[in-house]
Amino acid sequence: MQPFDYVKPNSLEEASALLIEHNGDARLMAGMTDLLIRIERGFFHPRLVVDVKALPGMRDLLVVRNGDLRIGAAVTMNEVALSPTARSGWPLLAEGCQSVASYQLRNRATVGGNVCNASPAADSVPALLCYEASVHIFGTDGDRTLPLAEFITGPGRTALQRGELVTAITVPAPARGAAGKFLKLGRTAVGDISVMNVAVLGWPDKATPSGSQWRIALGSVAPTVIRAPEAERILAANTSMAGIEAAAQAASDASRPIDDIRATAAYRRDMVRVLTRRGVEGVLAEIGEQANR
Amino acid sequence: MRAVGSSIPRVDARHKVTGEALYPGDIDRPGQLWLRVVFAERPHARIRGIDTSAAMAAPGVVAVFTAADVPNNVYGLNTLDQPVLCGPGAPRGMADADIVRFVGDQVALVVAETETQANSAARLLQIDFEDLPVVSDPLAAMQPGSPLVHGYRDNNVLLEYHVRTGDVEAGFARADVVVEHTYRTGAQEHAYLQPEAGLSYIDALGRIVVVVAGQWVHEDRQQIAHALGLPEDQVVVRYPAIGGAFGGREDMSVQIVLALAAWRLKQRGIDRPVKTIWSRRESIIGHHKRHPSVVSAKWGATRDGKLVAQQVDFTSDCGAYAYTSTKVLGNATLACLGPYVCDNVHVDARTVYTNNVPGGAYRGFGGPQGHFAAELQMDRLAEALGMDPLELRLRNAWHEGSLMATRSVLPAGVTIVPVLERLAAEISGSENGGQSPRPSPQSPVPSPHAPFLTSLDASAGRRLRGTGIACCFKNVGFSLGYRDVCNATVELYGTGEIERVVVRHAAAEVGQGTHTVMAQVAAEVVGVPPEQVELIVQDTAETENSGSVSASRMTFMAGNAIKGAAEQALARWQDEERPAIAHFEYVPRATTPYDKLTGQSDPNITHGYCAQAVEVEVDPDTGHVHVLQVISVNDVGRAINPQQVEGQIEGAVAQSVGWTTHENFVQRDGRVLTDQLSTYLIPTVVDVANVKSVILEIPDPQGPLGARGMAEMPFIPTAPAIVAAVHDATGVWFDEIPLTPERVWRGLRAAAR
Repeated sequence: MQPFDYVKPNSLEEASALLIEHNGDARLMAGMTDLLIRIERGFFHPRLVVDVKALPGMRDLLVVRNGDLRIGAAVTMNEVALSPTARSGWPLLAEGCQSVASYQLRNRATVGGNVCNASPAADSVPALLCYEASVHIFGTDGDRTLPLAEFITGPGRTALQRGELVTAITVPAPARGAAGKFLKLGRTAVGDISVMNVAVLGWPDKATPSGSQWRIALGSVAPTVIRAPEAERILAANTSMAGIEAAAQAASDASRPIDDIRATAAYRRDMVRVLTRRGVEGVLAEIGEQANR
Repeated sequence: MRAVGSSIPRVDARHKVTGEALYPGDIDRPGQLWLRVVFAERPHARIRGIDTSAAMAAPGVVAVFTAADVPNNVYGLNTLDQPVLCGPGAPRGMADADIVRFVGDQVALVVAETETQANSAARLLQIDFEDLPVVSDPLAAMQPGSPLVHGYRDNNVLLEYHVRTGDVEAGFARADVVVEHTYRTGAQEHAYLQPEAGLSYIDALGRIVVVVAGQWVHEDRQQIAHALGLPEDQVVVRYPAIGGAFGGREDMSVQIVLALAAWRLKQRGIDRPVKTIWSRRESIIGHHKRHPSVVSAKWGATRDGKLVAQQVDFTSDCGAYAYTSTKVLGNATLACLGPYVCDNVHVDARTVYTNNVPGGAYRGFGGPQGHFAAELQMDRLAEALGMDPLELRLRNAWHEGSLMATRSVLPAGVTIVPVLERLAAEISGSENGGQSPRPSPQSPVPSPHAPFLTSLDASAGRRLRGTGIACCFKNVGFSLGYRDVCNATVELYGTGEIERVVVRHAAAEVGQGTHTVMAQVAAEVVGVPPEQVELIVQDTAETENSGSVSASRMTFMAGNAIKGAAEQALARWQDEERPAIAHFEYVPRATTPYDKLTGQSDPNITHGYCAQAVEVEVDPDTGHVHVLQVISVNDVGRAINPQQVEGQIEGAVAQSVGWTTHENFVQRDGRVLTDQLSTYLIPTVVDVANVKSVILEIPDPQGPLGARGMAEMPFIPTAPAIVAAVHDATGVWFDEIPLTPERVWRGLRAAAR
């Protein structure tokens, strides 16, 4: 492994200045579960690794005044997965985080890192897309906030500019009565990267024809994690068995998977249909249960 | 308390649990240098030249070794067909050592002050390759005009065996039903915890010491000495703690190159130890795999379920070099017939060179591939006859005195029938209050999964259940005319009473518990508690040849050797010798090789027998197969340490569930696409079935205190039993494993059309 320098700055300004100073030769690190492997295998050759964990607010996981969940960029997967706040208020996200790798890795891996890697298989991203999360960015030209859907611009690509770093992610509180399902297909029951995954969020809404609103996100079946808006529209109109089938098919049609070592595109496309249907059925059952209480 | 038959704690448990046990990668010596192996990374090529100048000039580099530095550039456990380092210039060895035949061929050794410096310098090596045509499919490799993996040969078939018994055509003419299918099994990575690592140095006596993990210290020593052109007594091989083997350490990996580097450095006046640790990727491309197989079988039976003809065509992918392929083939040639009596048998079996990673030893050693076909053929016959699969097996199973297809009488102690009968009792529920183990569809099953996680949990809707059975035999000890031996020395110390027992034995403790078993056997025979037994083991300087920990042989062989030595030592003790020391060389009954034309032989020393029932759950929408429970009935002759026996059964089943359902080793055009444990997935603890281990103790007349070898056989029936259970659940037969979700999904869709 190529040697590199390590620095743990104490301020965002210092971190940003280091990134600018070592233009292209510096990498941010949080949990280092991906970065270290990429350095070791020679994909990245940083001269400097900048640890963000000591920066103010980076480790905070809290509900802010308007009810949003604010996740500091260096909050670990386990901190989210095991947080009673996240589990009760944002269970879809807790499920996504809990499905990542193994317990030990989740003690290191961070939500911020997962988002910034911008992998199509990132398991926290489908839930964050369903909740319509935003990403807070610090830069020398000032702070800015982007919707997650705009932050991730391609496989491994984000909207981060030179000298910028992600400080937090905010996740709006879901609508009253919302229920979610995160379904992940792995080759083993735990620990595997997603062959594909589906996140489904639904909540009662008397104003829609079907009586419910929906958000569906698909992982590992396109260059980035994607939403399935057509499927969402179909379900807002109709959650009969035929509606669910049509939505599942629409989600499948929205996917653009590839063949790789884990599965073929054809299999993935059909699994989008199967898991979307199951996710919607599961959410509907939960919404119905709550309505009957 | 008797020493034998009790589950005493393993002699190595404490040190391994506390971390005190040192594995090869943990051991450092002052002044050590680091060695980096440069792999070919291409499947078939000629090396025209190697320019080492840039690597030599890199910081910290002490030496770069190539083929020109190898005194005798050829090695191999059974067949001398592999260069130590590929490239031109060796004084002796293979004439075509300049040919690279698989991606894991070793080309050069970079020795530097630090690991990082060795790695950096390795990238500076300039190797002039001329790529050659690649053959990666064994069936294609048999076609005329195929590229030759070893150019001096006429074709790529390394070895063929034939069995001709009775008249198979007459058998088919008598048959009321005939089933004919082609079965395929995949490669499997051993995935032991500890990747290859080791250390070599020159000791005060001028000997080359190699500290490494292996399965047979004396064989390692022989191969190192042979390649270095040295007498064996100038080489010492010592195993520290070994992080698993499963057959994967039968062949050379780091042994010869470490010794070569230490010895050549010493010749240059550099007397420093040399250490290496392979990465997981290097381990995966650099050592052999379970052989992939293609088996076509045509079997016939009469209406009353009597097997009257077995015709089998067996092909295994040998990969680039022989390793143990010929021996695996010897086992598979009979395993593909199962433990059944049949008067008309026709087998053609062969192993074929390709440019894939070599096939070699892996728990079961041809038994799993052969029985996969044999047992599924029995299920197909049962289906065609409308007969219970277990009943069909019982009607054809071997008995005491039955003839094998090789026309020899089976080794005494034939127990496949009682094993099957016990399985039937387990299934029909003498253990379950008369309840069938098949639960009703409504009965709740405790989910083995964490909440809201992955595949099967996602399938809460529709799950199909099914059960299946299979059985097997497994040879114990080396077969087919190999003169198997095992040495042991027992030393009794004390004055009035025996205070201390020392056992010297070379057997490698690879995690299987053999050292504990050895202490128990010695204690039992001498009549002391096992704590009084001290072991001096796995070191060529301290022990004599005990053979390999393979072929389910060490309990059987070491048990007999230690029993023999202990009995003699005890007699000397009674004659007032102090200390009383006895050496014993155990030689089991002789076997004979296959006749070239007919296969006639007395192939195996003895056998163990196993039968299993499996229950699976299938998600018909995603294709996921989850093995819920396995009942494994095993005749082990005598369970020296019942807990260790159970451990072997559970471990074998887990490994076989992996081979059957999860582990998908993908090679394309000779390149390994699954070269990490993130791409080659092995089952996790939540993927593995609940295993009920049923231990039968029907003594083997040749076994020490009746013990049979048993550590491979529980691997063997699992795969065909899972496939039968999936058929029971879905109505679809799968003739190829692994049963990846996608393969099952495709199969179910094809059947639904």
